[in-house]
This record gives sequence, structure tokens and C-alpha cells, in this order.
Amino acid sequence: MDKNIFLVGLNHRSAGVDVREKFALTNVADFEKSLLAACPLREVMALSTCNRVEILVVADGSRCEEQDIVEAVLGHWAETCNGPLDMLAAHTYRHQGMDAVSHLFCVAASLDSMIMGEPQILGQLKSSYRKAVETGTARVIINRLLHKSFSVAKRVRTETAIASSAVSISYAAVELAKKIFGELTGKTAMLVGAGEMAELAAMHLLASGIEKLYICNRTYGRAQELAKTMHGEPVFFEDMVARLAGVDIIISSTGSPTAIIRAKDIREVLKKRRNRAMFFIDIAVPRDIDPDVNGLDNVYLYDIDDLKEVVEENMSARQGEAVKARAIVDLETEAFGTWMKSLALQPTITDLLSRAEDVAQRELAKTMKRLGPVDDDTRQALEVLVNSVSRKLLHEPICFLKRRTREEGSSDRFIDVTRRMFNLDSDPVNPDAHLDRRSGEDDDPLDCECCREPEADQNESGKQ
Amino acid sequence: MGLPDILPILVIGLYFLGTGLYVLGSALRGERLKAAALVLAGVGFALHFLDLVQQLAAADSHGALTSGRFLFCLLGFGILIIFLLLWWRLRLRFLVVVALPLALVFYATANATTGIKASLPPMLSGLFFLLHIGTLFASMAMLGMAFGAGLAFLHLEKRIKTKTGLKTFQKDMPSLDTFDKVNHWVIVIGFPLYTIGLASGFVWAWLASKRVFSFDPKEILALVMLGLYAYLFHQRLAYGWRGRKPAVMAIGVFLLTVLSMLGINFLVPTTFHGFKP
Repeated sequence: MDKNIFLVGLNHRSAGVDVREKFALTNVADFEKSLLAACPLREVMALSTCNRVEILVVADGSRCEEQDIVEAVLGHWAETCNGPLDMLAAHTYRHQGMDAVSHLFCVAASLDSMIMGEPQILGQLKSSYRKAVETGTARVIINRLLHKSFSVAKRVRTETAIASSAVSISYAAVELAKKIFGELTGKTAMLVGAGEMAELAAMHLLASGIEKLYICNRTYGRAQELAKTMHGEPVFFEDMVARLAGVDIIISSTGSPTAIIRAKDIREVLKKRRNRAMFFIDIAVPRDIDPDVNGLDNVYLYDIDDLKEVVEENMSARQGEAVKARAIVDLETEAFGTWMKSLALQPTITDLLSRAEDVAQRELAKTMKRLGPVDDDTRQALEVLVNSVSRKLLHEPICFLKRRTREEGSSDRFIDVTRRMFNLDSDPVNPDAHLDRRSGEDDDPLDCECCREPEADQNESGKQ
Repeated sequence: MGLPDILPILVIGLYFLGTGLYVLGSALRGERLKAAALVLAGVGFALHFLDLVQQLAAADSHGALTSGRFLFCLLGFGILIIFLLLWWRLRLRFLVVVALPLALVFYATANATTGIKASLPPMLSGLFFLLHIGTLFASMAMLGMAFGAGLAFLHLEKRIKTKTGLKTFQKDMPSLDTFDKVNHWVIVIGFPLYTIGLASGFVWAWLASKRVFSFDPKEILALVMLGLYAYLFHQRLAYGWRGRKPAVMAIGVFLLTVLSMLGINFLVPTTFHGFKP
């Protein structure tokens, strides 16, 4: 059954940007629906980002014997994008069955991303899935597969350190600032000069809760301009050192050939600040800040090379963590395979019956305990009673499943519903699940008569 | 073997396991290991409390309350209380790696002194006990935390300053600022407490023996420490010391405290603060 899952796609490794932009599905409306109509498929989901396109399909086992599903999907894809099929075929990878599952898990956990461990892909995957659900092309298997892939991604993030360290210069700077100051709320920063990387670092600082951002530039007009876009306060270049007494983090990136901030200036500034810590980030080459500044107590100076080193170290740490992450992916892939197998009719019937027997035995044990010592005949009669009640109750649902399987070839949908209704896979139920589908009013606790303690029942009847 | 007999072994074992597990948990980034360590330490802490209560209940005279065993027990307990306060106020769980071993050391020391029957002068009692021992121990427990925070600060600061890169362990550590805050609060609250403790000791000595200062080695060292503490207090609050210097100094003052507590009380024969028979 798992052989019916196919995944075709291309990513930044298999295809250059020219190919990726040609076959992007970002602006294609209803690709899933058209693919579903064109090929013998049951479920479809497509993910398209700037670095990858992934098309996940579940074939209709009863209709696809003669046709090669992958070729059909590629054909439809090339046609939709008006591109040459052979070009597309040359740049795509294809996975089937558990390979497809494992690949999807890797994508969700960001193990396949250009910068491993960056979390954007998960959000993109979620929105693609939402689209597939809305258009009705995601059903039993894709539903389960995607939900599983989200939980795999979460497990990888929490159980490995794959995303715990910064892999960009500007993020590394913010991370260091947090290590020095703790929370950045209430802190102030100054951006001296301009430049893409420095501005990016300043933006990250703002996002981390910096209270105030001063912007200083040799050309005051430019400072004013930047201040407007970044909600900062412009500062005259001549006032820069005087203002430093109130600034905790300084990002410098000017084109000055000599140092503009010297150690002896900072010594004075520190006195005024009563030694509160300062963090200098010098992105300029040649450097703007005298390296001796790092020798002062409570002052920390990182230049572009220091930051690069931090980033490289973090990158290699991520590679190491990827091994752990892949082990998680393998484990979860195996678990998914087990679930796929259980979607067949016979295992479900077996599970249903054993669940019923389990419940019957437990209830019987409780009753026997309450009754105290009884003779063997009574005991046997009670056993027969509970077992036949549970079996007879299940008779109709089992007949229904058998009938549907005979009529439709397979009845994944009903089997899945049955498994979920009786919680045959013992999945933990998240109380927040499907919160978006619920209206605010019906927030009553899920309570029913069967969950109530028998003692409570007795008390109530006693009162009557 | 009744509960009182195995209680110390249990407490020491639990603290030891807790410390080991926590360090292991930090190294392996295992939140569950850390949680298990904290639970073990928590049970140890409860038993530790029970031990103290038992000693209090068993004390028919004040003599027992000034025994080395009880005092060291109390000091270990105090360190954990201060840690809990820091955890609560500054969310600084990290310091458990300092608090637990210190509590372990003092608790173990307490039980090492059981053999030595305490015989402090009976004048150490009642209000004096609270003023002198309570305040001094509270300030010493705080210094213990400042000691740990100081070591952590120096380690992390060196890593950041020399750009040697932050490994998992350093990444899990709180920020430099947090460690500095511990130092700040210890000095702001600990110094007045220490002063009260010392002053009450001298007042009591004057009331009891009409002598304020008796050139007891412990008193001399205590005065030296008061001087250092006062210097630290002044530099930090008036002069604006931060970071490295107060951290180093707090470490020094704490080590001196331990020296005076263990070295003089046990080894110097002439002191009347001693735990010798």
C-alpha cells in the first residue's frame, strides 16, 4: 500500500535557479485539482518555494496499474508551466513509498534546506498543506503524513541543537548581545554608517526588543533617511562619542580608513556609564573600532572575522546535529510504515476486537471486585455476557468495513476513521488540535456518560 | 537502623546524585535528566529540612543548637534557600550546579563533626543566636552563590572576550548580566547582614564578658573580611564596579569565609568559636 505514495520534486541542488523559476508553481492556481483530474490519483499536495518544488501524490491503486504515475505527474507539471518535459525530467528527483515519506520528513525538519536548520520551510509546508486541505485534495494519507511531518520537525528542533545557533553574521551578533545583556528589552543601540549587513543586524536587534536605535552617519541627511525607515533617532557624526554613554550596543560599518572609535574615548564613556557593559560590532573593513577597546573591562568587541568564525563553528555544529536528526527521521518513517500497514482491513478488525476484549475484561474485573466472592457459574456467565456484548456491538461496524472494501476496492477513509474513533493507534490527543475549526462557544469539556465514575452514578441513583 | 541514622546518608546520596545528574543533563542537553536531578535534589532538600527539624526537636538545651553539626547543616540549608530565592527572582536555575555541591560539602562536613561533641559557651543563645548566627550564615550562603555566579561569569566572560566560541554548555548558561546581578544583590543585602552579624557578636561579647574584642583569630579574620566586604560594597555601589572585578573579589571573600569557618573553627586551638571539645 505504501508503494502508492510518490514524491517528485526539484530543489536548489538538483536544479539551477533558471530551471527552478521556470517550473515554480507559486503562481499557478488550482494545480492540485487539475493534477487530480489529469492523473489516476487519490490525493495531491504541492509545495513551491524559491528553493524547491515538491509534488506529493497518492496514487489510486486500482486505476494506476497501466500508467506510470511519475511520468504522468511530470507531464502535467511541464504542461502547466509551459516548459520542456525532458528538461524537467532531467532535474527532478523521484521517491516512492517510504523513501518519499522519509524525504518529506527531512524537508519538514529542514535537513534538506539550503541553510540546514532554518525554520522557514516548515511554515511554507504548513501553508501548502492548508491549501491542499481547502481544495480537498488532501485526504487520509496526506493528512496523516503531513501531521506526522510537522511533529517530526518539532521533535528534531527540540531534541537536537540543529537550530539552536545562528548561521548568519547578523544573527550571530544578536545572539552574542543576548549572551552579554540577557534580555535586550530596554537596551539601546547605535548604527554608525550604513551597509546591508549592519542594517540587517540593527533590524534583528529591533525585533529582539531593543528600546531605542540611534542612527549616525557622516551625512546627516542619510542618517535622517535611515532613521525614518527604521524608526530610529538620527545623530550628528560629531556627537557620536558623546552619545555613546547612553548606548549599549554599537554596530559600526563606515568607509573610514582609520579607526573612528578609540580605546581612550571609550574609557571616558565607561566612567560616565558607571561601567555598564558595552558591545561593539565592527562590520567595516578597514575596521572602524580600535581593537584595544576589547581590552577594557565590561567591553566586548567583535569584528567581521570574529563573527564569521562564530558562524562557521555554528554551521559545523549543525552538521553534527544532523546525524541525530536523521536518526529521528528514520524512526518516524518506520512508525509511519507501520501505520500504513495497519490501514488494511484485517489488522484493523483484529485491533478492534482486541480493544473490545480489553475493555470487557477490565470492566469485568471491576465488577468482580465489587461483587466479592462469587461461584464459578456466575463468573462464567458474566464473562460470556461482557464478551458477547462487546462483539455484538462491533459486528455491524466490521460488516460495514468489509462491505465497503469489497465494493470500492479499498476503504482507507473508513478504516482511518474507525482507527481514530476507537483510538486504535493510541495517539495522544492534543487538546488544541483543530482549534481553528471550533467556534468559541462550544468549549465544554469532552465528557460523556461512559467516562463518569460508577461511584458517582450510584450516588445519584441513591438520592432518587 | 532507624530513620535518623540513615537520614544523613540519604541526604548526601541524593545531593550527590542530583549534582551528578544535573551536570550530565547540562552536558547532554537532556531536560528530563535535569528535571530528574532537581526532583532528587528536592527530595534531599526535604529530608535535609526534616533533619534540621529533628535536631531542633531533640535539642533540650541551646548547647545542641550551637553544635558544629547543626550549624553546618543550617549553612547548607541556607545556601539552598538562597538559591531558591535567586531561581524565583532571576529565573537562574543554572546556579544549582553551585548550590548543590556547596550544600553537599557543608552537609557532609556537618556529619563529619558529629564525632566532635560541641561545647560552645552557653552565652550563645536566644536572640543572639538569631542575630549572630542567622545573619552571618545568611550572608555566607549568599556569598556562596556569588562565588558560583562569579566563577560562571569569569568563565563565560573569558569565552566571549577571547572569542573562543560558545559550546553547548556556555550556550545554556544565563547571560553575563544575570551573573552580575547576583553579585549585585549579594553585596547589597549580604554586606549589611554581615555587619549586623558581626556587630551583634561584639555587643554580646561586651555584655557577656565586658570585652568587645578578644583577639580571637576568628574575630581578627572576621574584621579583615568585613573590611574587604565593605570595600566591595563601596566600589560596587559608589564607584560603579561591575563585572570582572567584583566577581573576582566575591570569590576571594567567599574562600576566606570558608577558611575561617573550617580552618579556624577546627584547627586553631585558642579560639572560643571552635568546635573542639
